[in-house]
Formats: sequence, structure tokens, C-alpha cells
Amino acid sequence: MSLAPQFEGGNFQRGAGGVHIARRSTTRRNGRWHELTVWWREIDKVLLTIVGLLMMAGVIGVAAGSAASAHRLSTAEKTLSDLHFFWMHLTWLVMGIATMFAASLLPRDSARRLSILLAAGMFVLLVAVPFVGSEINGARRWIRLGASFQPSEFYKPAFTVMLAWILSWRVRDPQLPVMVLSGAVLAVSVGLLMLQPDFGTAMLLCGVWFVLVVTVGLPLHRVGWAMGGIVALIVGAYFFYDNARRRIDDFLGGTEAYSQVDLANKTLTNGGWFGRGLWMGERKKALPEAHTDYILSVIGEEFGLIAVAGIALLFCALVVRVLWRLSGEDDLFTLLAGTGLATLLGGQAFINMAVNLQLFPSKGMTLPLISYGGSSMIALCLTVGLLLAVTRRNPYLTRDGLPKGPRR
Amino acid sequence: MASIPLGTAQGLTGPANRHRARQASPQASHASPGRRADLRASTLTMARKRVALIAFGFALATAVLVLRVAMMGVFGGTGGFTPAGDALLPDRGMIVDRNGVPLARDFKSYALWFNPKAMEGGEPLTRPAGEVAARLVDIFPDMDEADLERRLASGKGQYLRRRILPEEANRVFEIGEPALSPPAEPSRYYPEGNLAAHVLGYVGADGKGHVGMEEVFNTSLTDPSTRGTEQVLAIDSRVQAALEDELLRGMGLAQAKGAGGIVLDVDTGEVVALASLPSFDPNHIDQKGMELMFNRVTNQVYELGSTFKPLAVAAAIDAGVVTNLAKTYPAGKPLRVGRFSIRDSHTIGQNINVPEILIHSSNIGTAQIADELGSVRMKRTMERLGFNERPYIELPARGFPIWRSGEWPRLTTMTVSYGHGIAVTPLHLASAYAAMVNGGIWRPATLKKLSPDEVPEGRRVFKESTSARMRQLLRLIVTDGTGRKADAPGFRLGGKTGSAEKPGDGGYRRTSLVTTFASAFPMDNPRYVVITMYDEPKGTAATSYQRTAAWNAAAAVGRIVPRIGPMLGIYPDENREIDLSDVRPLLEKGGAH
Repeated sequence: MSLAPQFEGGNFQRGAGGVHIARRSTTRRNGRWHELTVWWREIDKVLLTIVGLLMMAGVIGVAAGSAASAHRLSTAEKTLSDLHFFWMHLTWLVMGIATMFAASLLPRDSARRLSILLAAGMFVLLVAVPFVGSEINGARRWIRLGASFQPSEFYKPAFTVMLAWILSWRVRDPQLPVMVLSGAVLAVSVGLLMLQPDFGTAMLLCGVWFVLVVTVGLPLHRVGWAMGGIVALIVGAYFFYDNARRRIDDFLGGTEAYSQVDLANKTLTNGGWFGRGLWMGERKKALPEAHTDYILSVIGEEFGLIAVAGIALLFCALVVRVLWRLSGEDDLFTLLAGTGLATLLGGQAFINMAVNLQLFPSKGMTLPLISYGGSSMIALCLTVGLLLAVTRRNPYLTRDGLPKGPRR
Repeated sequence: MASIPLGTAQGLTGPANRHRARQASPQASHASPGRRADLRASTLTMARKRVALIAFGFALATAVLVLRVAMMGVFGGTGGFTPAGDALLPDRGMIVDRNGVPLARDFKSYALWFNPKAMEGGEPLTRPAGEVAARLVDIFPDMDEADLERRLASGKGQYLRRRILPEEANRVFEIGEPALSPPAEPSRYYPEGNLAAHVLGYVGADGKGHVGMEEVFNTSLTDPSTRGTEQVLAIDSRVQAALEDELLRGMGLAQAKGAGGIVLDVDTGEVVALASLPSFDPNHIDQKGMELMFNRVTNQVYELGSTFKPLAVAAAIDAGVVTNLAKTYPAGKPLRVGRFSIRDSHTIGQNINVPEILIHSSNIGTAQIADELGSVRMKRTMERLGFNERPYIELPARGFPIWRSGEWPRLTTMTVSYGHGIAVTPLHLASAYAAMVNGGIWRPATLKKLSPDEVPEGRRVFKESTSARMRQLLRLIVTDGTGRKADAPGFRLGGKTGSAEKPGDGGYRRTSLVTTFASAFPMDNPRYVVITMYDEPKGTAATSYQRTAAWNAAAAVGRIVPRIGPMLGIYPDENREIDLSDVRPLLEKGGAH
């Protein structure tokens, strides 16, 4: 059953191209349609469902947090309506879904090429940011091009795919020093991010690199060394890097009466197990960044700790679903790119949740797919789109006869 | 598509497999195809294992997060906002009396705290320590300048002075040293000083309430959700003040070791005043204060002596044993029970009737009535009056009575009838007297103000008719008997004296007494029970060299009632009196005076 449309819509027509105009127009429409059916057949629908659920949680969460942030950010000249951020979020979300859809339509090679191009472009912008960027909250991360956006947001997924590509050379030629090469790319990227400074993203990139390098087969004793290196990096950051020191100090030292972390914690626990109900939260009004960094706390207050645990489990499901499927993959680039992108999403989500649950010092990192968007929403949707693209798989194929992985 | 199909299915797949096909093509690599395939296989095998490992890592992280959420749900979650914000909420709730007069409240007071970190990393002080010390001594002349300088130079955060006045705090501010900050600290303040100290208790350095209602209410006084509402006591601070004042005066007159007193609402069980003297100052707890915290009224049990006689007579009337008050009992010589003999302080008469037994407080007569009643009924009445358990009140310190369990021997029944062989707290006696005069209903005593619908139903101990008869007899004791000194004109008071020897080594000590006067007023419609008690009063010039209850405890009631009556809505009225026409003739005829 799968053979017929594939044959008809693909090579055959192309080979017999230019028969006559009327025919061609219908086939072209058929081509589009066909591409979509193939997409639908190959896409990981479970992953798509999880992403959809997270986005829905995000819409509700932003609706809950919107009023608090709108009041906080209203000025004498300009009053923001209660649902300002909600409507903005919906707008960004629609654009994000479009981006995600477009990216997921890409064939794997195109996805890779696009990512590498994007990485190169964003790299240039990252170099430029310290000079032309605008400063917010003591960090120079933003570039104004019409709307302002953070190049680092788009650099993250592009960098990940690029890294996967570099590391996948290993199977072509074991002589290539892929570790050193990828390490160098990472070092330069982290250096640029530290200039901004953006400690959180730098950490995230290190994490992705580490996971990919482990995946591609770094001996475990070297993994141990790398762990030591990370600890050394954090200690180093503490001593030589003001922004990081302040945040770590805030976290470790007795939190001041009205520190953000403390406020977030009070908000999170105020709802008890089942929450106070939508728009019934009180503590959120005192919370800065209620719609972005601390949206999980707002969800906790209004929908309860059960909802918070549910979101943690959803993110876990997302990552485990992707990795489980990939553990049966026999193409190294696909495996690495998928693992890297999943780690990127999962890592950011887990760091944000850990911050909200007071397990981690404040990072200034949003909760992917849930926090209020803007350009970062588009970047995250692009990440998901790329993830969907590289994990596309013909369901009627069995994998190679390599060590048994799960069949689907 | 340029690639060469490697298998039948491969050419038919979508984008997923194109890359693989390309990669497998020979163009990109120098290694031999066989080695490359091996490398690919081994790398992939490794990669798949590692991916599973990473998935496991994420699952572990999720477990940690979910566990943390569960912990927050179980242990965390203290707080929502109160409408006015946390700032306006007192650190500890207020305690007020029944009319809303504050008895215990929060009070912010300044402390002189040296905070060397105020300059955030700089030197603690902007000027030399010696100069700052000198400026401080200007404000507090009693402080030692050299010591102060040493402490400031040490750079350690510490209290320089625990409590300072607001104007002193202002002058400290004027020195202009950020490290010298007088923080306002919460402290507990008792505006009325010693008043009702045993009822209130105090707040210790640990922030917890001790001894009195501070301990009882500790949870609701500190819980953010409830500490905004004040706790209302049944105490009336005016009545309390009058009671303490007169008890203290009587204590001085009779040179007694201590005194106790209670004013109890007969119909509700509310304790309107409760005093144990000497008392302590809850604002300033020291060693001496700690020694005085024992509550004589609720915690100490006494053999209260003759004040038990009306209870025994009431039990006999209630049981139908005494149907005629004119019935006489022989009282000319000591009553022998086995080897024990019961005596009176003096011979009252050869044959005396029931009112005479009470007004002259005859042990011999009461013992015979109790003997007729029998031990079973006697014991049951005493149980119904709550004498076999700790008194009912909120206070944490409540004494357990000395109570003979099991079947009472004949002698015990007889001694209990005049208040020996049984020891209870004065509070027990107050509740029992309330039941005796209010129509026969016993109710637990309480220190909480009750609204009319909160009044407990209580339990019936005496018949209404018994109660009416007892009101006459109690009034008679005051008009014609040992309680005459308590007869405040117009207040129709009735009551009974009791002077019991304190038990000592090997028997009773004739020299040390516990004197009690148990009373209620007005007898035509009783509203309040008043009990006063003195511990070891002496015979002084002021008490006509007498030590018995009539001269100290009864006299105190005689002074207290005119003061507290109007506060409680009972005004003296010389034209009103309980009808005594059917009992008074019994006294005139008896001629036992």
C-alpha cells in the first residue's frame, strides 16, 4: 500500500516530467499533498502529542501569570492590559508552530545544512553582540532587528546539530580529531557567551557537548575527568565571574527576606496540592518574571503541586521518548542530533524547574514551550521542529541487523 | 536522487534514509569498507548504550524533582497573604479581658545592636572605635567606655544594650554609624503588670508561652492565620484588680504566707477573677518570679475543712435523709467512732438542729448527718461535684485531689463531711458551691468568655428544692453565724467559713491553718461565687488576735463584694432579702447561742 503513492508522486512523475500543463499542475498539488501524507506517516506522533500538551500548559500558565507581569511592567505612560502577555504569547505561539511545522518538513540533509548555516550566521551575531547589543539586567544579550532577539537562543539548536555533524565524522574516518574540533567550537562559543554574560546558556551548551561526546564513545574515565572539569569550571566561574558569583551566593547564602528565589518558593507552595484555581493566586503578584522564568511557580500556586509534578513528568516523557526511539537508530548523525536536541530542551527545562523548586541557583532561563515566548519561543519551536525532522522515520522499515533495538 | 539503492526497501523510503544511503557511499572515506563497517557497528552499539544511560539520567533527575515537589507538599506551604499584609500582623496575638481590655500584647522595643557588616565589605566603623564609644557613653552614661571600645573594635556582631528608649534610639541614629542600628524587636508586654499573672503566664526567651493562657493559646497566638484575632478571656480586669487588692490587704493584716481567691459565674462557669498571691511580674521574669508561679487556686490541694459541711447537708437533704431541719442531733460530748473521736471547738449544745449545726460549724452534728446518709450516697455526691478528678479549667497546672478510692469506710464518710480526709483545690470548691446555689447544676469552670449559646449544659447534682434550701442556710450562716464579718450590707451574701489545720509530720499542726470562706451572692438570686483563702494567717492586732476564717477570709469577702458587685451589675439593696421566715425560728427556739 505504501509503494503506490510513493512511486506515483515521486521519481516516476519527475522522470516523466513535462507531459502537459494541466497534468503537471495536478501532480504538483498531488506532490504537496503527498509530501504531507509522508510527513504524517513518518513523524513521531507521540512526541508531537507531548509537545502539544506542553504548549497547552504554556498557554494556560501564561494566562495565569500575565496579569501579574502586566501590572508589574505597566508604567505611568503605558498601562498594559491584564491579558497583554497572553495575547502576545498566542501570537508568538502561532508563529512558533508555523516554524516548527516548516522545520519538521525538512529532509534530514536540508535540516543539517540549514542548521549549519544558521549556526554560522548566529555566530557572527554573537561576535557582534558585545558591541551592538542592548543591555538588559546587567547583560548584553539582545540585538534589535525590527524586534529584538537573542542570537544565543537560535544558536543553541544550530550549534547542537552542528556538533552532531562534526562528531558523526568519527565513523567516516577515525583519524579525524572530532573531539578536539568539537571542543574548540564549544570553547569559542562559551567564550562569546561569557562576554555577554550568559552563564546559563554557556552551561547548557557545555551540557549538550558533554552528552554528545559521551554518546559518541568517550571512555568513561575521561567522562570522570570531564565531570571534574565542570566542577572546576563552576568553581572558576564563582571566583572570576561576578554575575555567577552573585547568583551562587544568593542561592547558598541565607536568602534575603524578599529574594526572588524565596518569593518563587512561597508562590509555588501557596496552592497546596491542588492549587487555588485559575486567576485565584495571590503570591504571584509579588513575583518578578511571573510569565517567564518563574511561570512554574505561578502554575504551582494556581493549579497545585500535582500540576507541577505533571509538567516535570511531561518533560521527562519527551526526553525519554526521543532517546528510547533513538536507541534503535543506526545512523550516527541522526542519533547524535536527536540526542543533542532532546538534551537541549530537557536540560533547559530541568534547570528551570530545579530553580523554581529551589534546588539550583537562579539562572535566568525560561521553561521551554511553557514560558512566555517572544523570539525565544520561535527558537524553541525551531528546536522541536528540527528534532521532529531528524527523528522522522519510515514506520514500515525495520532497522539494520545491528544489536537489537526496539522496533517500531 | 543520486544514491545507489542498497536494498529493496531503501530506494522507497522518505528523507529518513537518504542520508544513510549517502553516508554508506564510498566517496567520503579513506578506510577500507570492511573496517569502516566495523567501526560504524561498534560506535553505534556504544552510542545506543550511552543513549539509554542518558535517558536513565533524565529519569533520575525527574525523580528528584517529583520527590522535591512531594516534600514541598508535605512540609512546605505555610503561606498565603493575609489581606492587610504580613507587616500589620502582630508577632503574637493579643489577649484581652471580657470587656476588651488588653492584658497581653505585642510591643516593639529597640535594642542597640552592633552590626559590623552594615558597610557591606568595608570597615565596620567610619570613625575610630574609641570616638564612637565616647559618643555612646554620652547617651548611656552607665556604660563602661573602655569595655565598649573593646567590643566595637572586636568587629563581632553583638548586643551592646538589650532595651533602649525611642529617644535614645534617635540619638544613636544621630551618631551616623551604619553599624549601630537599633532594630525594633518584638517583645511581650503586659500593660496591667502583675494583674492576673497566674492566669496569663508569660512568654519565655524561647518565644513560647508558659504557665497560663499564654501556654494554652500558644498555637493560635502564633499561627499567622489566627493570631490576628485576639483571644478573649472570661476575666474582668476590674474585678480581678479588686480581688487581688483586697486579698493582698488581708494578707498583710493577717501576715499570711499566701492567699488565693476566685470569682465564678454560677450559671456559666466563667471565671471572672482568679488570683494566687503573692504573684509575679510577667514583664520581668526572674528567679523570684519563677518561684511564685505555683498557682494556689488550681494546682494546690487543701483540706478545706468546714466549707464542706453545707455540701454534706445538701447531699442529705437531697437524698431525703434530712426531711425536717428541726431534727436535732446530740452534740454535748465528742462522738466516738471506733478509736477515733470527733470533737467540736467548743460545746455548742446538748441537742442542736440542722441550722445550728451549720451556723456554729459543728463537726459532731455534720458527722452524724453524713452517717445517716451513708458512704455510698456521700461518695456519689462528691464524685458528681467533680472532687475525684483534676479541676476543669484550661490552665495547664491543675492539682489532683487527695481522694479515697474504693468503698468508703464509715469514718471517712464522717470526716469528709466536715472537710477532712479529702483535699481539693479552691477551684473545685468554687464549682461545687456554684452547683449548690444555682439550682443544682454543676458546670466546668472556664477562662474563656462564653456567649450564651456556648454555655455547657452541665450535670444535675442537687434538686432545685435542695438548692433553694441551701441558699437559706448559707445566708443564715452569714446573718447569724460564723460568717457575720462577710455580711456586706445590701448584697444578701451567704457562705461558710472553714479553718483547717495543715497536715504536718505525724498529724495536724495546730498552729498553721488554711482558712477559707466560700460564698455566693445575692442569695435571693445567686449570680457569683466568691472564694477567698489564706495560707497560715496569724492572729494580729488587726484581726483581734484571731486566726480563724471569720477574721481573715470572711472579712476579705466582706470588703471585696461591695467593690465588685456594682462592676458585675449587682447593686446593694437593703430592701431585698432572701425569705428566711421558715428557718430563722429554728435558731431562736434552739437557744444555743
